[in-house]
Amino acid sequence: MASLSEEVLLVVKKVRQRKQDGTLYLMAERIAWGPEGKDRFTVSHPYSDIRCQKISPDGKAKVQLQLVLHTGESTTFHFANESTALKDREAAKELLQQLLPKFKKKANKELEEKNRMLQEDPVLFQLYKDLVVSQVISAEEFWANRLGGLNNSEPAPYSNKQEVGISGAFLADIRPQTDGCNGLRYNLTTDIIESIFRTYPAVKQKYSENVPHSLTEKEFWTRFFQSHYFHRDRINTGTQDIFSECAKQDEKGLMSLVNKGVKNPLVDLLSLEDKTLDEGYGIKQALPSTSNTNKTVKESSNAAIIKRFNHHSAMVLAAGSRKNEVTADQASETSSTDGNSRDSDFFQPPVKKVKLQEAIEYEDLQRESKQKTVALNLKKSDRYAHGPVPLQSQKYTTSQDIINAVNCIQHEMAHYKPNLTQVREKNNNTFLPSTEMVPSDIQGELKHLYVAAGELLRHFWSCFPVNTSFLEDKLTGHLEEMLQTAYSKFHIWQTRRMMRKT
Amino acid sequence: MASGMSWFSHYFCFLFFLLLTSTRVACFAEDEVNLLVIVVDVNPIWWGQQAQREPEFTLSKCLDGVMVMGNSHMALTRTNKLAVIASHCQDSHFLYPSKSLGGGGGAAEDTSSSRDGKYELLAVANSAIAEEIRNVLSKTEVRGNSTDTLLAGSLAKALCYIYRVSKELDVGQEIKSRILVIKAAEDCALQYMNFMNVIFAAQKQNILIDACVLDSDSGLLQQACDITGGLYLKIPQKLALTQYLLWVFLPDSEQRSQLVLPPPAHVDYRAACFCHRNLIEIGYVCSVCLSIFCNFSPICTTCETAFKIQLPQMVKPKKKKLKMPA
Repeated sequence: MASLSEEVLLVVKKVRQRKQDGTLYLMAERIAWGPEGKDRFTVSHPYSDIRCQKISPDGKAKVQLQLVLHTGESTTFHFANESTALKDREAAKELLQQLLPKFKKKANKELEEKNRMLQEDPVLFQLYKDLVVSQVISAEEFWANRLGGLNNSEPAPYSNKQEVGISGAFLADIRPQTDGCNGLRYNLTTDIIESIFRTYPAVKQKYSENVPHSLTEKEFWTRFFQSHYFHRDRINTGTQDIFSECAKQDEKGLMSLVNKGVKNPLVDLLSLEDKTLDEGYGIKQALPSTSNTNKTVKESSNAAIIKRFNHHSAMVLAAGSRKNEVTADQASETSSTDGNSRDSDFFQPPVKKVKLQEAIEYEDLQRESKQKTVALNLKKSDRYAHGPVPLQSQKYTTSQDIINAVNCIQHEMAHYKPNLTQVREKNNNTFLPSTEMVPSDIQGELKHLYVAAGELLRHFWSCFPVNTSFLEDKLTGHLEEMLQTAYSKFHIWQTRRMMRKT
Repeated sequence: MASGMSWFSHYFCFLFFLLLTSTRVACFAEDEVNLLVIVVDVNPIWWGQQAQREPEFTLSKCLDGVMVMGNSHMALTRTNKLAVIASHCQDSHFLYPSKSLGGGGGAAEDTSSSRDGKYELLAVANSAIAEEIRNVLSKTEVRGNSTDTLLAGSLAKALCYIYRVSKELDVGQEIKSRILVIKAAEDCALQYMNFMNVIFAAQKQNILIDACVLDSDSGLLQQACDITGGLYLKIPQKLALTQYLLWVFLPDSEQRSQLVLPPPAHVDYRAACFCHRNLIEIGYVCSVCLSIFCNFSPICTTCETAFKIQLPQMVKPKKKKLKMPA
């Protein structure tokens, strides 16, 4: 029954638990204790369940080891071997000390992950509060769907954060403050130091060379700021300066950058030069010469500043595009001072093509890839033509019948003349069944009403055309009254009749 | 007024007209145009056989009734309009307004209104209808294969005419139109799709379709009337056609609410299955092609889609693995 496939790391005999003699087994994933003589384990705790272990103080007679679980309960083991109790306990404790952290991490990691998820997503947190805290669903169910990726050792999905680039003004951010007595105080934060290292790998190199061997950090930075390397005019570069090498390296880097040029076929930098039309058209007559001796002091310092600006910008861009190379050797560092990748040298035509392609095509305007659909394949589509209508028995007519019928109708209609006065038949009894249903007294009443209405209408029509005011008055006053009374009489009769009916 | 009417129906008509005109004065008559299109089924085979069955009621009598109704409609208000379409086996033909009306001055003078003092519009309409129906029927060809009335086509023509008139209105005029179908022969199942399209088009345009059925009940027209809100009536006595037309079908939709009219017919909306054409109440519908079947089959015969049937799942008894007590 107790055949375990786990590796047994330590066996300690004569360990009592709850006043029972037994053996303690420490295995790869769990700690277990079984009573003496029996094969099975009564106590078994996986390491991930154990929160911490406690030992009894050294002075005490009983040598004990207590395991406290995450759930709060604790198990105590009493090492009862007279001679080796302490040693046993120490051995067990050491082993546990080594093993527990491994499993603890795993448990903690889960908890940490959960906490992180809850903190990052307020909606999730609210959901958790609503459902789990109020015990609508258990915590296990809640996390069942969400912790899928945790058991694989993948990095958390949130690590694809964008890397923060370098601010171009990081050097300017170090605002020197006057120290009171003719000194300057520079505030350097780790961010600024990191920016400097990323932008100027040469400085980083110097730093790693000198600190902490020959210079302290403070001294290094003091020298840095004092050096003319840092200041804007780099004309006087003393050889004792540790940063003079940096200056030379920078020059080298800049020259190589310039020589590389820009690989974009759509950009032609050389066309930006001033083109002179001729002498006297507002351009200086003397062409700018490249030899240093002809330059005035001002010109040379301007040129130096501009060169430094360009170099600084190039370095900042290069540092941003370079991925975080923590361990980069010197060779790659010096070579990576250029902004563009070296590979493009060898692959010029494809790069040009790619650039042209990028300029022409827009992703948004591409045809959307439609889903492949299955065409509807109807075999007996005539079923739809007659629709869900039941079969009706068709009257069978012989062709002779048809001919006869057509002849008959043609003969009849050839002499058709509308005879509208004979629309109704003379005999009454076939139509309007209500004629018989109306009782005679109602017929009589209706007759009277009808005659009265007819009389009123006769008066009405006799007033036209309205020539005299007498007629007008009669129409508007008298007759209207009469018509109203007649109508109300009819209405009363009608309602009476309806009531009688009901 | 016709001389043969008894006093009762005379009075009835009088009251009726009073009612109709009084409600008409309520709305400003100039603004609202009321268009009535009468579609008459003039299937020569059916009418020829009818003439042999019942000589008292023939196509002439039917057309007389239609003319009376048309005249009454136009006499009610000046802005009422009329159109009459004859639905034949081979085509549909406009009886009124007809093409020859505008051009033929000679024909109009022949039946000039001065003969009996009739309202000129009515006289012209009547003569046009008579002339056209004579032309239509004289050109009838005998064909064995097409013996069904082209009713769906006539209805479509009516809809087009209504649409055209509604576009030609003056500024500020509104139009309300309805179609009256006088049906004689039987339904044609082949026209089902066209019929349904026409019905739904009419419904969209708020055009009522009324049906006056002479002989056998028509399921399609019942549906048409139900969907568009019109009236369906199967006349018990063919000889009384005029009276039914004037009583039931002359008032327009507003006035019908104030009258006691025959109750609406119960429409049988049951569908027929595609396999046997039996009417079924509960059936199986293919989710791909929407064809209706009365029995289940795993493959739809119309679109040949195979349907997987899910058998009830067998529940396996779970064996609990006893964990080691360690």
